[in-house]
Amino acid sequence: MDTFLQIVANGLMLGGLFAIVAVGLTLIFGIVKVINFAHGEFLMVGMYLSFLLSTGLDVHPYLTAAAVAPALFVLGALTQRLLIQPLMSARDEHVQIFATVGLSTALMNLALLIFGADIANTPAHGVRSQVMLGEVRILTGQLWVLAAAVALVIGLQLFMKKTRTGRAIRATAQNRAAARLMGINDKFIYILTFGIGAACVGLGSSLIAPLYPTSPTIGTYFVLIAFVCVVLGGLGSIPGAFFGALVIGLVDALSGFYIGSDLREAVVFTIFLLILILKPSGLFGTRMNLSHVSP
Amino acid sequence: MTRASDTPMTAHRLGLIAVAVLLAGLVAVPVAVGDQFVYHIFITICIFAALSTAWNIVGGYAGQLSLGHAIFYGIGGYAGVILVNLGISPWIGMFAGAAVAVVAAIVVSWPCFRLHGPFFALATIAFLEVFRVLALHFRELTGGATGLMIPLKIGWEWMVFRERLPALLIAFGMLLVCLAVAWAIRSHRLGFYLVATRERESAAKAAGVGTVKVRLMAVAVSAALSAMVGTFHAMYLTFIEPESMFSLQFSIQIAMFALIGGIGTVWGPLLGAMLLVPITEFARGALGSEAIGLHGFVYGVVLMLVVLFLPNGIMGLVHRFTAAPGKTVGEQAAPVAAAPRSAEPREAGREVMRVEGLQKHFGGLHVTNDVGFTLREGEILGVIGPNGAGKTTVFNMLSGFLKPDEGKVSVLSPSGEWQQPVTPGDFASIGVGRTFQIVQPFAAMTVEENIMVGAFHRHPHVGDAREAARETAHRMGLGPYLNAEASSLTIGGLKRLEVARVMAMEPRILLLDEVMAGINQTDVRRAVDLMLSIRDTGVSIIAIEHVMQAVMSLSDRVIVINSGQIIAQGDPHDVVRDAHVIEAYLGKDFTHA
Amino acid sequence: MKLKSLLTATAAAALLAGAAHADVKFGALYPFSGGLALLGEESFRGVEIAVDEINAAGGIKGEQIELVRGDAVDNNQAIGEARRLISREGVKAILGTYSSSRSIAASQVAELSGIPYFELGAVADEVTGRDLQYLFRTNPTAETMGIMTIDMIVDEIAPGLGVAPEDLVIGVIHEDSAYGTSVAGHQERYGAEKGLNIATVQGYPTSTVDMSSLVLDLKDRGVNIVLQTSYQNDSVLFLNQSAEAGFEPDAIIGGGGGYSLTATAEAVGDKMDGVLDVDFTQYAVNTEFTPGLEDFLAAYQAKYGEDPRSGHSLNNYVGAMAVLEGIGAGEGFEPDQIVAAAKAIDIPSGATAAGYGVHFGEHNQNDRAMMMGMQWQDGKLVTVYPRDAAVAEFQIGD
Repeated sequence: MDTFLQIVANGLMLGGLFAIVAVGLTLIFGIVKVINFAHGEFLMVGMYLSFLLSTGLDVHPYLTAAAVAPALFVLGALTQRLLIQPLMSARDEHVQIFATVGLSTALMNLALLIFGADIANTPAHGVRSQVMLGEVRILTGQLWVLAAAVALVIGLQLFMKKTRTGRAIRATAQNRAAARLMGINDKFIYILTFGIGAACVGLGSSLIAPLYPTSPTIGTYFVLIAFVCVVLGGLGSIPGAFFGALVIGLVDALSGFYIGSDLREAVVFTIFLLILILKPSGLFGTRMNLSHVSP
Repeated sequence: MTRASDTPMTAHRLGLIAVAVLLAGLVAVPVAVGDQFVYHIFITICIFAALSTAWNIVGGYAGQLSLGHAIFYGIGGYAGVILVNLGISPWIGMFAGAAVAVVAAIVVSWPCFRLHGPFFALATIAFLEVFRVLALHFRELTGGATGLMIPLKIGWEWMVFRERLPALLIAFGMLLVCLAVAWAIRSHRLGFYLVATRERESAAKAAGVGTVKVRLMAVAVSAALSAMVGTFHAMYLTFIEPESMFSLQFSIQIAMFALIGGIGTVWGPLLGAMLLVPITEFARGALGSEAIGLHGFVYGVVLMLVVLFLPNGIMGLVHRFTAAPGKTVGEQAAPVAAAPRSAEPREAGREVMRVEGLQKHFGGLHVTNDVGFTLREGEILGVIGPNGAGKTTVFNMLSGFLKPDEGKVSVLSPSGEWQQPVTPGDFASIGVGRTFQIVQPFAAMTVEENIMVGAFHRHPHVGDAREAARETAHRMGLGPYLNAEASSLTIGGLKRLEVARVMAMEPRILLLDEVMAGINQTDVRRAVDLMLSIRDTGVSIIAIEHVMQAVMSLSDRVIVINSGQIIAQGDPHDVVRDAHVIEAYLGKDFTHA
Repeated sequence: MKLKSLLTATAAAALLAGAAHADVKFGALYPFSGGLALLGEESFRGVEIAVDEINAAGGIKGEQIELVRGDAVDNNQAIGEARRLISREGVKAILGTYSSSRSIAASQVAELSGIPYFELGAVADEVTGRDLQYLFRTNPTAETMGIMTIDMIVDEIAPGLGVAPEDLVIGVIHEDSAYGTSVAGHQERYGAEKGLNIATVQGYPTSTVDMSSLVLDLKDRGVNIVLQTSYQNDSVLFLNQSAEAGFEPDAIIGGGGGYSLTATAEAVGDKMDGVLDVDFTQYAVNTEFTPGLEDFLAAYQAKYGEDPRSGHSLNNYVGAMAVLEGIGAGEGFEPDQIVAAAKAIDIPSGATAAGYGVHFGEHNQNDRAMMMGMQWQDGKLVTVYPRDAAVAEFQIGD
């Protein structure tokens, strides 16, 4: 039983990790409606920035979020402005996907060029210490990630519901043409959304950096899992992505123990496919209909 | 491929000559140079061009962005190697692999076709990952991570050679097969159906296209070709492992060649591979040893630039230079060449459609309540009612796009039996054609091709369909625009195209949804004449219309729908005087006016 | 001056055209780009140092050696580059490859072209398992590694812990590419032969971000000896997450890759202390057993301005030295002459910088190739096994 509880705890912590990556992705995917294959590389860039800043200035990696999140916001906004926006009118939506594939390849290899294939270790500054909940061991850093994910979800929800900008974003997501008629600058909204999505990952990367060794390829694993969480939670739904991530974290941890660590990916992706096919609006069903996503 | 140009045949012929020269070069260059490395590059070009051409049938024609095509390539490779190790020639293994790939393709794709755009892409990636993990897991069959090797048995029956020419010839042969299949599909009915389905799925369904069926056919053909190439490539590599056979990177690369060459075109993937493979090889040679990651970085940046500045690929560029300047422009409201009508309207004939007790709810909304009527042969039935009355919902149930909660729609088949069609395809094949209120042109096709999609319903062969389409186009006053892109038409032109596509299906019952909305007075009159002449050929028509002038002069009978119910029906002139109708349209105050 | 540079340019162009006669060319086929680039490059440096050393001593058969690089970034590319080296560059033999799958793919090209191929670093059994005529391998294999791990448990760990070997509960975990899978396979097979209790064998993807379930599984099974064959990221993850889960096996034996790298030790801190490792010969070794190691280190530092990042360079150096000197002692550079020369190589154990001897036996595999058992002691990776090569005592038990 202790083992089971420990696995569940591990799964939830892992879910928190996925959540903080997935929340930014669901914004971009749900609102700009672009598959951002470079999202994992955004995380990687953020982790390297956090590593450089915390080792260079000898500060706690969490503090680097103050610089990393804005930097990632700029990266995201530039991506939308320079790469995606010129392609929004393209007849073939495929080209956007390939554009982000190109960005992902370029960023990953740029990291390889600068940092080499070796791992980089961000100093832990105590976040690898443990707390005991009964018999269950949890890392403080993981708790912080989960807490940050919750705070991020609540914060974004408030932003979307209560602020003018947030409402404009939601209006654009639901009907771009109508939003434009109402005087919303949809291009600006997309740039803003992409930036916010990337900034969320920036925040996440400062929290993840002290927990995991950073390498140029770390993003590739996260990006596919993050897409799974996003679809599971219902496209564009921020709380959905969060709960989707918790579910995937649990599934991952439980299947790793009970089925075998070599098959856990197969389990996760099979669940993803079943959801896509049987309940494409996601586990936590939003009203958005997938068939209207593509033009 | 049938672009507008002053001299289409010459441009076309020039293009074919260019392709022939390029293809010949694929064999001639390595033979002339005689260098093993050059052979390898050209074999690689052939393999990638073949895979990319096969991918394009699904990713381009059908518009389903598959990023999991390595599944089929991998299946072909594994089938070939496993069978060779059992002593069976890869020439047989190739077909075994293709067969397995077809089954896998259908199993994988069927559930995914309801997914669109990015979701389909994600689903194919997920399938690919599952295949890769399973290939790693089931070691007895696949050798697991350590992979499988083939014994180096030399000779044609084993596809392994000491000299390089035979390998090149096989790779080239496979490329030719893929190109031939891709060309054949694109220039026959299946290709038209695929593009139509990609552009507007519902319009394609209304034109009688079995959209799921044609996509499954495309996926099956594409998977079979990919698997066959996979078998050969495995023999060429002599060694396969899950990491390289079921690779996402590889799948993306295949799609990328098509994208860069020109997605959805027959020759684009070939051009893409011919340009990119050598560049990649030489870039790797020049940059790869400079610094780790430099080559990949440049590759990524180039990909972004190509996508940004050449979104339609090399073929897009080619077209920009070959397309004749000032193609068919001009006044699009050319007169409708309606045949002169006989003075006496014919008597309405026997019943051809019976609608009984239709009910439909959308959530709590009762959108259709007990709608029932009959339609006679050669009759024009006008359907009117205020906005939001549920007219289009009824239409959707009369054409299979919506299933009624209760009630039934029966149609008299040509052989004289009453049938109850269910799907849009059933309705189309029994002779019910429909238009859409919001026009649904196949934007990437010419006007002629648009109409041909309808004409294929009766004429499976391209020549006949083209003939029928031209005839219909002339009848509909679209003759001068046959070679124009549908997307270049005005709204009036598009409405007419919508009708022309349905007319080309030669329906017995025609459902017209507001074909006169938004067109000018002269055109309305012409359209009325056209409809009457259609009716005179024995076609029955149900027309939703707001233009009262048209309704009154056209309809033999009128049905008024309000809030999902029929509130009046009968002779047009009687109906408009009906108190309920006036109330529905103008409000209670006017009923006594 | 101008004329001279013009002449040089022409000469360079002539070289590029593949018409060089001045030197004898050998191909060096390694992954220089892509994910395997780091250790591919590291391996290549060993060959480069060997060639420098030989050239400085007058070359082989009076001719200077020119190394031509080929980038084996994936399997198809490995084939292409092997073709290029053979047909365009006219190399007399190819040295390589670090990655087993690239080696398998590229060596069949050499075999069909009748050009000798010397594998200096790839460990998969399949490389030499195909009975190719022109393929030789100097380095130890996955099998050597698996056997060595098990021997170390039986000979040193069990006695050190004061228990019978069959009372140990062993868990084998490995990254799921060819490398980890084949080493783990040998550990399982050979462990069973020795009567050891192997509780579980589990693979996982290299890129994983979570191994907590695997750790709990091992803990649940009461595993006290863990054998992990891994790269860097997963080594760090496993050591960290084991400590966090309170899983403290009596011994962790790493297999190569991540466990031999200083960066891994830095990443996990003092959790690395006492961890064992079986790998190619590394640098903290009894140099009486590895003559020439210090010279190699000096040459490496002089050429690259840093210490070797792993033992790959050393092993490739040893292999390249043995092969090139062997060819130099042969009749000439024709393929069959090279093959005959290779077969005549006979270097005893304890006579190379890696400690092992070179002699091609069955399947043209070097039957004297061996690995070393090492332990992290006070932040250093020191050789502890076999005793001949050891510089420190095993630290096991309390």
